[in-house]
Amino acid sequence: MIELQHITVGFGDKEILHDVGAGIEPGCITAVMGPNGCGKTTLLRCIGGLLQPSGGQVLIDNKRVQDYTPRALAQKVAFVRQQAQTDFEFSAFETVLMGRNPYQHRLQNESQADWDIVEQCMRQTGTWHLRFAKPGQMSGGELQRVMIARALAQQTPVLLMDEPVSNLDIAHQLDVMRLLRKATEKTVLIVIHDLNLALQFCDRLLLLHQGSALYHGPIAAGLTPDNIRTVYGVDTHMAEGRIIFDY
Amino acid sequence: MKRSGRANPWIMLLLGVLLLAAMAGSCLLGAVDVEWNSEWLQRILLPLRLPRVLLSVVVGAVLSVCGAAYQSIFRNPLTDPYVLGVSSGASLGAAVAILLGLEATLWGVSGLALAAALFTVWLIYRIASIGNRMHTTTLLLTGVCLTLLISALISFLMVLNQEKMDSIIFWTMGSFGSASWTDVALTAPVAAVGIGVVLWYGRDLNLLLAGSEAAQSMGVDVERVKRVLLLFTTLMVAFAVSSCGVIGFVGLIVPHAVRLVAGPDNRKVVPYSMLCGALFVLVCDTLARYLLRPAELPVGSITSIIGAPLFIYLLYKNKKSY
Repeated sequence: MIELQHITVGFGDKEILHDVGAGIEPGCITAVMGPNGCGKTTLLRCIGGLLQPSGGQVLIDNKRVQDYTPRALAQKVAFVRQQAQTDFEFSAFETVLMGRNPYQHRLQNESQADWDIVEQCMRQTGTWHLRFAKPGQMSGGELQRVMIARALAQQTPVLLMDEPVSNLDIAHQLDVMRLLRKATEKTVLIVIHDLNLALQFCDRLLLLHQGSALYHGPIAAGLTPDNIRTVYGVDTHMAEGRIIFDY
Repeated sequence: MKRSGRANPWIMLLLGVLLLAAMAGSCLLGAVDVEWNSEWLQRILLPLRLPRVLLSVVVGAVLSVCGAAYQSIFRNPLTDPYVLGVSSGASLGAAVAILLGLEATLWGVSGLALAAALFTVWLIYRIASIGNRMHTTTLLLTGVCLTLLISALISFLMVLNQEKMDSIIFWTMGSFGSASWTDVALTAPVAAVGIGVVLWYGRDLNLLLAGSEAAQSMGVDVERVKRVLLLFTTLMVAFAVSSCGVIGFVGLIVPHAVRLVAGPDNRKVVPYSMLCGALFVLVCDTLARYLLRPAELPVGSITSIIGAPLFIYLLYKNKKSY
Protein backbone atom coordinates (compact mmCIF):
# COMPACT_ATOMS: atom_id res chain seq x y z
CA MET A 1 0.00 0.00 0.00
CA ILE A 2 2.84 2.42 0.89
CA GLU A 3 5.85 1.90 -1.29
CA LEU A 4 9.08 3.78 -0.62
CA GLN A 5 11.30 3.71 -3.68
CA HIS A 6 14.90 4.91 -3.44
CA ILE A 7 14.04 7.92 -1.27
CA THR A 8 16.89 10.40 -1.18
CA VAL A 9 16.64 13.76 0.51
CA GLY A 10 19.38 16.36 0.66
CA PHE A 11 19.47 19.89 1.95
CA GLY A 12 22.36 21.73 0.35
CA ASP A 13 25.27 19.30 0.25
CA LYS A 14 24.07 17.42 3.32
CA GLU A 15 22.25 14.21 2.58
CA ILE A 16 19.58 13.32 5.17
CA LEU A 17 18.21 10.20 3.57
CA HIS A 18 20.04 7.98 1.15
CA ASP A 19 18.26 5.51 -1.10
CA VAL A 20 15.68 4.30 1.42
CA GLY A 21 13.41 1.65 -0.02
CA ALA A 22 10.73 -0.33 1.74
CA GLY A 23 7.27 -1.72 1.18
CA ILE A 24 5.29 -0.82 4.26
CA GLU A 25 3.10 -3.73 5.35
CA PRO A 26 -0.57 -2.64 5.35
CA GLY A 27 -2.53 -2.96 8.60
CA CYS A 28 0.65 -3.19 10.66
CA ILE A 29 2.29 -0.87 13.13
CA THR A 30 5.77 -0.12 11.84
CA ALA A 31 8.21 1.46 14.27
CA VAL A 32 10.57 3.93 12.62
CA MET A 33 13.65 3.97 14.80
CA GLY A 34 17.14 5.34 14.85
CA PRO A 35 19.13 7.98 16.71
CA ASN A 36 18.29 11.70 16.67
CA GLY A 37 18.97 13.31 13.32
CA CYS A 38 18.99 10.07 11.33
CA GLY A 39 16.12 11.21 9.11
CA LYS A 40 13.05 9.69 10.74
CA THR A 41 10.99 12.88 10.66
CA THR A 42 12.21 13.65 7.15
CA LEU A 43 11.03 10.24 5.98
CA LEU A 44 7.60 10.77 7.53
CA ARG A 45 7.32 14.20 5.92
CA CYS A 46 8.08 12.63 2.53
CA ILE A 47 5.31 10.07 3.03
CA GLY A 48 2.91 12.77 4.19
CA GLY A 49 3.57 14.83 1.06
CA LEU A 50 5.05 17.70 3.06
CA LEU A 51 8.48 17.30 1.53
CA GLN A 52 9.36 16.29 -1.97
CA PRO A 53 12.34 13.93 -1.98
CA SER A 54 15.20 15.00 -4.21
CA GLY A 55 15.40 11.43 -5.52
CA GLY A 56 13.03 8.50 -5.60
CA GLN A 57 9.34 8.50 -4.86
CA VAL A 58 6.65 7.49 -2.39
CA LEU A 59 3.68 5.55 -3.76
CA ILE A 60 0.43 5.26 -1.85
CA ASP A 61 -2.04 2.87 -3.49
CA ASN A 62 0.18 2.87 -6.57
CA LYS A 63 -0.05 6.62 -6.98
CA ARG A 64 2.76 9.05 -6.32
CA VAL A 65 2.19 11.19 -3.26
CA GLN A 66 2.73 14.44 -5.12
CA ASP A 67 0.04 13.45 -7.65
CA TYR A 68 -2.63 13.57 -4.96
CA THR A 69 -4.47 16.80 -4.28
CA PRO A 70 -3.91 17.94 -0.67
CA ARG A 71 -7.54 17.11 0.05
CA ALA A 72 -7.36 13.59 -1.38
CA LEU A 73 -4.09 12.93 0.42
CA ALA A 74 -5.58 14.16 3.70
CA GLN A 75 -8.25 11.48 3.32
CA LYS A 76 -5.49 8.85 3.06
CA VAL A 77 -2.81 10.05 5.44
CA ALA A 78 -2.98 11.79 8.82
CA PHE A 79 0.08 13.17 10.54
CA VAL A 80 0.72 13.67 14.24
CA ARG A 81 3.56 16.14 14.61
CA GLN A 82 6.29 16.22 17.22
CA GLN A 83 5.31 19.65 18.48
CA ALA A 84 1.72 20.70 18.66
CA GLN A 85 1.36 24.26 17.45
CA THR A 86 -1.52 26.45 18.53
CA ASP A 87 -1.44 30.17 19.12
CA PHE A 88 -5.00 31.35 18.73
CA GLU A 89 -7.54 30.14 21.19
CA PHE A 90 -9.44 27.31 19.56
CA SER A 91 -10.93 24.90 22.08
CA ALA A 92 -9.85 21.26 22.06
CA PHE A 93 -13.16 20.33 20.46
CA GLU A 94 -12.75 22.88 17.67
CA THR A 95 -9.18 21.67 17.16
CA VAL A 96 -10.25 18.05 16.72
CA LEU A 97 -13.10 19.16 14.47
CA MET A 98 -10.49 20.60 12.07
CA GLY A 99 -9.51 17.00 11.32
CA ARG A 100 -12.83 16.68 9.48
CA ASN A 101 -11.74 19.36 6.98
CA PRO A 102 -10.84 16.99 4.13
CA TYR A 103 -14.43 15.71 4.07
CA GLN A 104 -16.20 19.05 4.23
CA HIS A 105 -17.19 21.28 1.40
CA ARG A 106 -16.10 24.84 1.72
CA LEU A 107 -19.39 26.49 2.51
CA GLN A 108 -20.87 23.50 4.32
CA ASN A 109 -21.42 23.35 8.05
CA GLU A 110 -20.16 20.47 10.14
CA SER A 111 -22.69 17.65 10.09
CA GLN A 112 -24.03 15.54 12.94
CA ALA A 113 -21.76 12.75 11.67
CA ASP A 114 -18.74 15.04 12.06
CA TRP A 115 -19.73 15.88 15.63
CA ASP A 116 -20.16 12.18 16.46
CA ILE A 117 -16.79 11.23 14.98
CA VAL A 118 -15.08 13.99 16.95
CA GLU A 119 -16.72 12.85 20.18
CA GLN A 120 -15.72 9.26 19.53
CA CYS A 121 -12.09 10.18 18.78
CA MET A 122 -11.89 12.38 21.87
CA ARG A 123 -13.28 9.63 24.06
CA GLN A 124 -10.79 7.13 22.61
CA THR A 125 -7.89 9.40 23.47
CA GLY A 126 -9.30 10.32 26.88
CA THR A 127 -9.68 13.99 25.98
CA TRP A 128 -13.49 14.35 25.97
CA HIS A 129 -13.43 16.02 29.38
CA LEU A 130 -11.05 18.62 27.90
CA ARG A 131 -13.37 19.56 25.06
CA PHE A 132 -13.87 23.16 26.23
CA ALA A 133 -10.22 23.68 27.20
CA LYS A 134 -8.07 26.24 25.40
CA PRO A 135 -4.42 25.39 24.53
CA GLY A 136 -3.08 27.39 27.50
CA GLN A 137 -5.22 25.38 29.91
CA MET A 138 -3.86 21.99 28.85
CA SER A 139 -0.64 20.22 29.78
CA GLY A 140 1.80 19.13 27.08
CA GLY A 141 0.55 15.55 27.30
CA GLU A 142 -3.09 16.59 27.07
CA LEU A 143 -2.37 18.75 24.04
CA GLN A 144 -0.53 15.83 22.46
CA ARG A 145 -3.55 13.58 22.96
CA VAL A 146 -5.80 16.22 21.43
CA MET A 147 -3.51 16.23 18.39
CA ILE A 148 -3.79 12.43 18.19
CA ALA A 149 -7.59 12.76 18.39
CA ARG A 150 -7.47 15.27 15.53
CA ALA A 151 -5.49 12.84 13.39
CA LEU A 152 -7.94 10.02 14.23
CA ALA A 153 -10.84 12.28 13.23
CA GLN A 154 -9.37 12.37 9.74
CA GLN A 155 -10.30 8.66 9.52
CA THR A 156 -7.41 7.81 7.25
CA PRO A 157 -6.11 4.34 6.43
CA VAL A 158 -2.57 5.61 7.06
CA LEU A 159 -1.41 7.26 10.26
CA LEU A 160 2.03 8.86 10.54
CA MET A 161 3.14 9.65 14.08
CA ASP A 162 6.30 11.53 14.93
CA GLU A 163 7.15 10.73 18.54
CA PRO A 164 3.52 10.79 19.67
CA VAL A 165 4.23 9.33 23.09
CA SER A 166 7.47 11.08 24.02
CA ASN A 167 5.60 13.72 26.04
CA LEU A 168 3.26 11.32 27.78
CA ASP A 169 3.48 9.56 31.13
CA ILE A 170 3.63 5.75 31.13
CA ALA A 171 -0.12 5.29 31.59
CA HIS A 172 -0.95 7.54 28.65
CA GLN A 173 1.83 6.02 26.55
CA LEU A 174 0.15 2.68 27.08
CA ASP A 175 -3.27 4.16 26.30
CA VAL A 176 -2.04 5.48 22.97
CA MET A 177 -0.24 2.26 22.04
CA ARG A 178 -3.28 0.17 23.02
CA LEU A 179 -5.45 2.45 20.91
CA LEU A 180 -3.17 1.90 17.92
CA ARG A 181 -3.28 -1.86 18.50
CA LYS A 182 -7.08 -1.76 18.46
CA ALA A 183 -7.20 0.19 15.19
CA THR A 184 -6.30 -2.93 13.28
CA GLU A 185 -7.31 -1.61 9.88
CA LYS A 186 -4.87 1.31 10.04
CA THR A 187 -1.36 1.27 8.66
CA VAL A 188 0.70 3.09 11.26
CA LEU A 189 4.23 4.43 10.98
CA ILE A 190 5.40 5.59 14.35
CA VAL A 191 8.65 7.21 15.41
CA ILE A 192 9.33 5.90 18.86
CA HIS A 193 12.40 5.82 21.08
CA ASP A 194 11.43 3.39 23.82
CA LEU A 195 12.89 0.06 22.63
CA ASN A 196 10.74 -2.15 24.85
CA LEU A 197 7.53 -0.24 24.15
CA ALA A 198 8.24 -0.65 20.43
CA LEU A 199 9.04 -4.32 20.87
CA GLN A 200 5.80 -4.95 22.71
CA PHE A 201 3.38 -2.97 20.56
CA CYS A 202 4.82 -2.73 17.06
CA ASP A 203 4.76 -5.42 14.39
CA ARG A 204 7.55 -4.26 12.19
CA LEU A 205 10.67 -2.15 12.34
CA LEU A 206 12.25 0.25 9.90
CA LEU A 207 15.64 0.95 11.42
CA LEU A 208 17.47 3.95 10.02
CA HIS A 209 21.19 4.33 10.33
CA GLN A 210 22.93 7.43 8.98
CA GLY A 211 20.16 8.10 6.50
CA SER A 212 19.90 4.57 5.14
CA ALA A 213 17.60 1.71 6.02
CA LEU A 214 19.69 -0.74 8.05
CA TYR A 215 16.84 -3.13 8.66
CA HIS A 216 13.23 -3.52 7.57
CA GLY A 217 11.21 -6.49 8.75
CA PRO A 218 9.54 -8.05 11.81
CA ILE A 219 10.50 -6.09 14.89
CA ALA A 220 11.62 -9.02 17.06
CA ALA A 221 14.22 -10.03 14.51
CA GLY A 222 15.41 -6.45 14.03
CA LEU A 223 15.94 -5.12 17.54
CA THR A 224 18.97 -7.32 18.15
CA PRO A 225 21.90 -6.35 20.36
CA ASP A 226 24.03 -6.17 17.22
CA ASN A 227 21.72 -3.73 15.43
CA ILE A 228 21.25 -1.64 18.55
CA ARG A 229 24.99 -1.39 19.00
CA THR A 230 25.50 -0.40 15.35
CA VAL A 231 22.82 2.27 15.40
CA TYR A 232 22.97 3.73 18.90
CA GLY A 233 26.41 2.58 20.09
CA VAL A 234 24.80 1.08 23.18
CA ASP A 235 25.38 -2.41 24.59
CA THR A 236 22.32 -4.50 25.43
CA HIS A 237 21.27 -8.06 25.94
CA MET A 238 17.91 -9.81 25.77
CA ALA A 239 16.38 -11.39 28.86
CA GLU A 240 12.90 -12.87 29.02
CA GLY A 241 11.96 -11.13 25.80
CA ARG A 242 13.00 -7.69 27.12
CA ILE A 243 15.90 -5.51 26.08
CA ILE A 244 18.20 -4.89 29.04
CA PHE A 245 20.88 -2.20 28.92
CA ASP A 246 24.44 -3.13 29.90
CA TYR A 247 26.21 -0.40 31.81
CA MET B 1 -21.64 22.98 22.74
CA LYS B 2 -23.10 22.66 19.29
CA ARG B 3 -22.22 26.17 18.29
CA SER B 4 -21.90 26.51 14.58
CA GLY B 5 -18.59 27.80 13.29
CA ARG B 6 -20.42 30.01 10.87
CA ALA B 7 -21.57 33.58 11.44
CA ASN B 8 -24.98 33.90 13.03
CA PRO B 9 -27.36 35.33 10.39
CA TRP B 10 -29.28 37.28 13.04
CA ILE B 11 -26.14 39.00 14.27
CA MET B 12 -25.18 39.76 10.67
CA LEU B 13 -28.65 41.21 10.08
CA LEU B 14 -28.46 43.27 13.25
CA LEU B 15 -25.03 44.65 12.34
CA GLY B 16 -26.22 45.30 8.79
CA VAL B 17 -29.26 47.26 9.96
CA LEU B 18 -27.09 49.16 12.42
CA LEU B 19 -24.68 50.02 9.63
CA LEU B 20 -27.44 51.23 7.31
CA ALA B 21 -28.91 53.36 10.09
CA ALA B 22 -25.50 54.84 10.85
CA MET B 23 -24.99 55.58 7.15
CA ALA B 24 -28.32 57.38 6.97
CA GLY B 25 -27.53 59.31 10.14
CA SER B 26 -24.09 60.24 8.89
CA CYS B 27 -25.56 61.64 5.68
CA LEU B 28 -27.63 64.02 7.74
CA LEU B 29 -24.77 65.28 9.89
CA GLY B 30 -22.14 67.75 8.78
CA ALA B 31 -20.97 71.31 8.57
CA VAL B 32 -24.00 72.29 6.48
CA ASP B 33 -27.38 71.72 8.10
CA VAL B 34 -29.98 69.60 6.39
CA GLU B 35 -32.39 71.45 4.17
CA TRP B 36 -34.86 69.32 2.36
CA ASN B 37 -34.58 70.95 -1.03
CA SER B 38 -33.02 70.03 -4.29
CA GLU B 39 -30.10 72.36 -3.80
CA TRP B 40 -29.03 70.54 -0.64
CA LEU B 41 -29.46 67.25 -2.37
CA GLN B 42 -27.46 68.20 -5.42
CA ARG B 43 -24.72 70.24 -3.79
CA ILE B 44 -24.19 68.51 -0.46
CA LEU B 45 -25.68 65.04 -0.23
CA LEU B 46 -25.04 63.54 -3.64
CA PRO B 47 -21.59 64.90 -4.53
CA LEU B 48 -20.08 65.15 -1.04
CA ARG B 49 -21.67 63.21 1.79
CA LEU B 50 -22.89 60.06 0.10
CA PRO B 51 -19.61 59.13 -1.58
CA ARG B 52 -17.77 59.95 1.64
CA VAL B 53 -20.05 57.74 3.70
CA LEU B 54 -19.81 54.91 1.19
CA LEU B 55 -16.03 55.16 0.91
CA SER B 56 -15.54 55.11 4.67
CA VAL B 57 -17.75 52.01 4.91
CA VAL B 58 -15.85 50.22 2.13
CA VAL B 59 -12.43 51.14 3.51
CA GLY B 60 -13.41 50.12 7.05
CA ALA B 61 -14.58 46.73 5.80
CA VAL B 62 -11.47 46.21 3.66
CA LEU B 63 -8.99 47.10 6.40
CA SER B 64 -10.69 44.90 8.99
CA VAL B 65 -11.08 41.89 6.72
CA CYS B 66 -7.47 42.14 5.51
CA GLY B 67 -6.26 42.50 9.09
CA ALA B 68 -8.13 39.37 10.09
CA ALA B 69 -6.73 37.48 7.09
CA TYR B 70 -3.13 38.59 7.69
CA GLN B 71 -3.25 37.71 11.37
CA SER B 72 -4.20 34.16 10.37
CA ILE B 73 -1.89 33.81 7.37
CA PHE B 74 1.14 35.07 9.28
CA ARG B 75 -0.01 33.47 12.55
CA ASN B 76 0.94 36.74 14.15
CA PRO B 77 -1.51 38.82 16.18
CA LEU B 78 0.47 42.01 15.54
CA THR B 79 0.06 42.15 11.78
CA ASP B 80 -2.15 44.77 10.19
CA PRO B 81 -3.06 45.39 6.53
CA TYR B 82 -0.14 47.77 6.07
CA VAL B 83 2.53 45.35 7.22
CA LEU B 84 3.62 44.32 3.72
CA GLY B 85 4.43 47.87 2.66
CA VAL B 86 1.49 48.52 0.33
CA SER B 87 0.55 51.64 2.29
CA SER B 88 4.07 53.03 2.18
CA GLY B 89 4.12 52.46 -1.55
CA ALA B 90 0.90 54.42 -1.87
CA SER B 91 2.28 57.19 0.35
CA LEU B 92 5.38 57.49 -1.80
CA GLY B 93 3.22 57.72 -4.91
CA ALA B 94 1.09 60.38 -3.29
CA ALA B 95 4.14 62.33 -2.13
CA VAL B 96 5.59 62.35 -5.63
CA ALA B 97 2.24 63.47 -7.05
CA ILE B 98 2.02 66.30 -4.53
CA LEU B 99 5.55 67.41 -5.35
CA LEU B 100 4.72 67.40 -9.05
CA GLY B 101 1.75 69.65 -8.28
CA LEU B 102 -0.87 67.17 -9.35
CA GLU B 103 -3.22 67.95 -6.47
CA ALA B 104 -5.39 70.18 -8.59
CA THR B 105 -5.88 67.56 -11.29
CA LEU B 106 -8.74 65.16 -10.77
CA TRP B 107 -7.53 61.81 -9.43
CA GLY B 108 -3.88 62.87 -9.80
CA VAL B 109 -2.67 62.11 -6.27
CA SER B 110 -4.83 59.02 -5.82
CA GLY B 111 -3.85 57.82 -9.28
CA LEU B 112 -0.15 57.96 -8.63
CA ALA B 113 -0.67 56.52 -5.14
CA LEU B 114 -2.57 53.60 -6.67
CA ALA B 115 0.10 53.04 -9.30
CA ALA B 116 2.81 52.98 -6.65
CA ALA B 117 0.75 50.72 -4.37
CA LEU B 118 0.10 48.30 -7.23
CA PHE B 119 3.80 48.29 -8.04
CA THR B 120 4.44 47.37 -4.39
CA VAL B 121 1.85 44.59 -4.63
CA TRP B 122 3.64 43.25 -7.67
CA LEU B 123 6.99 43.48 -5.89
CA ILE B 124 5.67 41.63 -2.81
CA TYR B 125 4.11 39.00 -4.98
CA ARG B 126 7.39 38.47 -6.83
CA ILE B 127 9.30 38.18 -3.57
CA ALA B 128 6.70 35.76 -2.23
CA SER B 129 7.07 33.57 -5.30
CA ILE B 130 10.81 33.03 -4.98
CA GLY B 131 11.37 29.34 -4.45
CA ASN B 132 8.45 26.94 -4.50
CA ARG B 133 7.31 27.70 -0.98
CA MET B 134 6.20 31.00 0.43
CA HIS B 135 8.04 31.63 3.64
CA THR B 136 5.78 33.88 5.67
CA THR B 137 8.44 35.11 8.08
CA THR B 138 10.67 36.17 5.19
CA LEU B 139 7.72 37.88 3.58
CA LEU B 140 6.84 39.71 6.78
CA LEU B 141 10.41 40.90 7.30
CA THR B 142 10.63 41.96 3.66
CA GLY B 143 7.47 44.00 4.14
CA VAL B 144 8.89 45.68 7.22
CA CYS B 145 12.15 46.51 5.40
CA LEU B 146 10.25 47.81 2.38
CA THR B 147 8.14 50.03 4.66
CA LEU B 148 11.24 51.46 6.32
CA LEU B 149 12.96 52.03 3.00
CA ILE B 150 9.99 53.83 1.50
CA SER B 151 9.43 55.91 4.65
CA ALA B 152 13.05 57.00 4.41
CA LEU B 153 12.50 58.03 0.78
CA ILE B 154 9.39 60.01 1.76
CA SER B 155 11.27 61.80 4.55
CA PHE B 156 13.99 62.59 2.07
CA LEU B 157 11.50 64.06 -0.39
CA MET B 158 9.85 66.09 2.36
CA VAL B 159 13.10 67.60 3.60
CA LEU B 160 14.05 68.60 0.07
CA ASN B 161 10.63 70.19 -0.45
CA GLN B 162 9.71 71.64 2.91
CA GLU B 163 7.01 73.90 1.51
CA LYS B 164 4.98 70.80 0.54
CA MET B 165 5.60 68.95 3.76
CA ASP B 166 2.18 69.76 5.22
CA SER B 167 0.27 68.39 2.26
CA ILE B 168 2.27 65.15 2.30
CA ILE B 169 1.84 64.66 6.04
CA PHE B 170 -1.88 65.34 5.77
CA TRP B 171 -2.22 62.80 2.99
CA THR B 172 -0.44 60.10 4.95
CA MET B 173 -2.59 60.76 8.03
CA GLY B 174 -5.61 59.63 6.06
CA SER B 175 -8.82 61.46 5.31
CA PHE B 176 -12.08 60.91 3.51
CA GLY B 177 -12.32 64.66 2.87
CA SER B 178 -11.75 64.33 -0.85
CA ALA B 179 -13.92 61.25 -1.35
CA SER B 180 -15.57 61.22 -4.76
CA TRP B 181 -17.77 58.87 -6.71
CA THR B 182 -14.69 57.89 -8.71
CA ASP B 183 -13.06 56.66 -5.48
CA VAL B 184 -16.16 54.65 -4.61
CA ALA B 185 -16.47 53.23 -8.11
CA LEU B 186 -12.83 52.09 -8.09
CA THR B 187 -12.63 50.79 -4.53
CA ALA B 188 -15.99 49.13 -4.00
CA PRO B 189 -15.85 46.45 -6.74
CA VAL B 190 -12.31 45.42 -5.78
CA ALA B 191 -13.41 45.28 -2.15
CA ALA B 192 -16.49 43.20 -2.97
CA VAL B 193 -14.50 40.61 -4.90
CA GLY B 194 -11.62 40.58 -2.43
CA ILE B 195 -13.78 40.22 0.67
CA GLY B 196 -15.71 37.48 -1.11
CA VAL B 197 -12.45 35.59 -1.65
CA VAL B 198 -11.43 35.93 2.01
CA LEU B 199 -14.88 34.73 3.15
CA TRP B 200 -14.59 31.77 0.80
CA TYR B 201 -11.31 30.71 2.43
CA GLY B 202 -12.59 31.13 6.01
CA ARG B 203 -12.05 27.54 7.08
CA ASP B 204 -8.65 27.37 5.40
CA LEU B 205 -7.61 30.42 7.44
CA ASN B 206 -8.57 28.53 10.60
CA LEU B 207 -6.42 25.61 9.60
CA LEU B 208 -3.50 27.87 8.70
CA LEU B 209 -3.53 28.98 12.33
CA ALA B 210 -2.57 25.41 13.25
CA GLY B 211 0.61 25.84 11.18
CA SER B 212 1.36 25.43 7.48
CA GLU B 213 2.34 21.77 7.64
CA ALA B 214 -0.58 20.83 9.86
CA ALA B 215 -2.95 22.64 7.51
CA GLN B 216 -1.39 20.87 4.54
CA SER B 217 -1.84 17.44 6.10
CA MET B 218 -5.46 18.28 6.86
CA GLY B 219 -6.12 18.90 3.20
CA VAL B 220 -5.46 22.61 2.68
CA ASP B 221 -3.59 23.52 -0.50
CA VAL B 222 -1.46 25.84 1.60
CA GLU B 223 0.69 27.47 -1.08
CA ARG B 224 -2.25 28.15 -3.35
CA VAL B 225 -4.46 29.51 -0.56
CA LYS B 226 -1.69 31.81 0.65
CA ARG B 227 -0.95 33.11 -2.84
CA VAL B 228 -4.58 33.78 -3.72
CA LEU B 229 -5.31 35.46 -0.39
CA LEU B 230 -2.15 37.53 -0.57
CA LEU B 231 -2.98 38.74 -4.06
CA PHE B 232 -6.54 39.78 -3.28
CA THR B 233 -5.83 41.32 0.12
CA THR B 234 -2.91 43.42 -1.14
CA LEU B 235 -5.02 44.58 -4.09
CA MET B 236 -7.87 45.61 -1.78
CA VAL B 237 -5.49 47.47 0.52
CA ALA B 238 -3.83 49.19 -2.45
CA PHE B 239 -7.15 50.55 -3.70
CA ALA B 240 -8.34 51.49 -0.22
CA VAL B 241 -5.16 53.25 0.82
CA SER B 242 -4.79 55.20 -2.41
CA SER B 243 -8.33 56.53 -2.11
CA CYS B 244 -8.04 57.87 1.43
CA GLY B 245 -4.49 57.58 2.75
CA VAL B 246 -3.32 55.57 5.72
CA ILE B 247 -5.90 55.02 8.44
CA GLY B 248 -4.23 53.14 11.24
CA PHE B 249 -5.49 50.97 14.05
CA VAL B 250 -8.66 49.69 12.35
CA GLY B 251 -7.13 46.67 10.63
CA LEU B 252 -5.18 45.66 13.71
CA ILE B 253 -7.83 46.08 16.38
CA VAL B 254 -11.22 45.35 14.84
CA PRO B 255 -10.46 41.64 14.16
CA HIS B 256 -9.04 41.24 17.67
CA ALA B 257 -12.05 42.88 19.27
CA VAL B 258 -14.31 40.57 17.26
CA ARG B 259 -12.24 37.54 18.31
CA LEU B 260 -12.53 38.50 21.97
CA VAL B 261 -16.30 38.46 21.68
CA ALA B 262 -16.99 35.79 19.06
CA GLY B 263 -14.02 33.41 19.37
CA PRO B 264 -11.22 32.68 16.91
CA ASP B 265 -13.18 30.96 14.11
CA ASN B 266 -12.51 32.93 10.92
CA ARG B 267 -15.86 31.97 9.48
CA LYS B 268 -17.21 34.34 12.12
CA VAL B 269 -14.27 36.70 12.50
CA VAL B 270 -14.14 37.71 8.83
CA PRO B 271 -17.82 38.58 8.26
CA TYR B 272 -18.25 40.21 11.68
CA SER B 273 -15.04 42.20 11.19
CA MET B 274 -16.29 43.36 7.81
CA LEU B 275 -19.44 44.91 9.28
CA CYS B 276 -17.90 46.10 12.56
CA GLY B 277 -14.95 47.67 10.75
CA ALA B 278 -17.27 49.44 8.32
CA LEU B 279 -19.40 50.74 11.17
CA PHE B 280 -16.36 51.78 13.20
CA VAL B 281 -14.69 53.79 10.44
CA LEU B 282 -17.99 55.37 9.44
CA VAL B 283 -18.67 56.55 12.99
CA CYS B 284 -15.10 57.81 13.40
CA ASP B 285 -15.20 59.73 10.13
CA THR B 286 -18.56 61.24 10.98
CA LEU B 287 -17.16 62.44 14.29
CA ALA B 288 -14.02 63.67 12.53
CA ARG B 289 -15.99 66.00 10.30
CA TYR B 290 -18.75 66.91 12.78
CA LEU B 291 -17.08 67.58 16.12
CA LEU B 292 -15.21 70.77 15.19
CA ARG B 293 -17.26 71.68 12.12
CA PRO B 294 -16.46 73.26 9.75
CA ALA B 295 -12.89 72.19 10.64
CA GLU B 296 -11.97 68.51 10.30
CA LEU B 297 -10.04 66.25 12.63
CA PRO B 298 -7.81 63.52 11.20
CA VAL B 299 -9.92 60.36 11.12
CA GLY B 300 -6.92 58.20 12.05
CA SER B 301 -6.61 59.92 15.41
CA ILE B 302 -10.33 59.46 16.10
CA THR B 303 -10.08 55.73 15.34
CA SER B 304 -7.25 55.45 17.86
CA ILE B 305 -8.84 57.65 20.53
CA ILE B 306 -12.08 55.68 20.48
CA GLY B 307 -10.66 52.30 19.59
CA ALA B 308 -7.75 51.98 22.01
CA PRO B 309 -9.75 52.39 25.27
CA LEU B 310 -12.52 50.18 23.89
CA PHE B 311 -10.04 47.48 23.04
CA ILE B 312 -8.24 47.66 26.36
CA TYR B 313 -11.62 47.38 28.09
CA LEU B 314 -12.43 44.25 26.06
CA LEU B 315 -9.04 42.75 26.87
CA TYR B 316 -9.51 43.19 30.60
CA LYS B 317 -13.14 42.12 30.60
CA ASN B 318 -12.05 38.95 28.83
CA LYS B 319 -9.21 38.27 31.26
CA LYS B 320 -11.65 37.97 34.13
CA SER B 321 -13.43 35.04 32.56
CA TYR B 322 -10.35 32.82 32.79
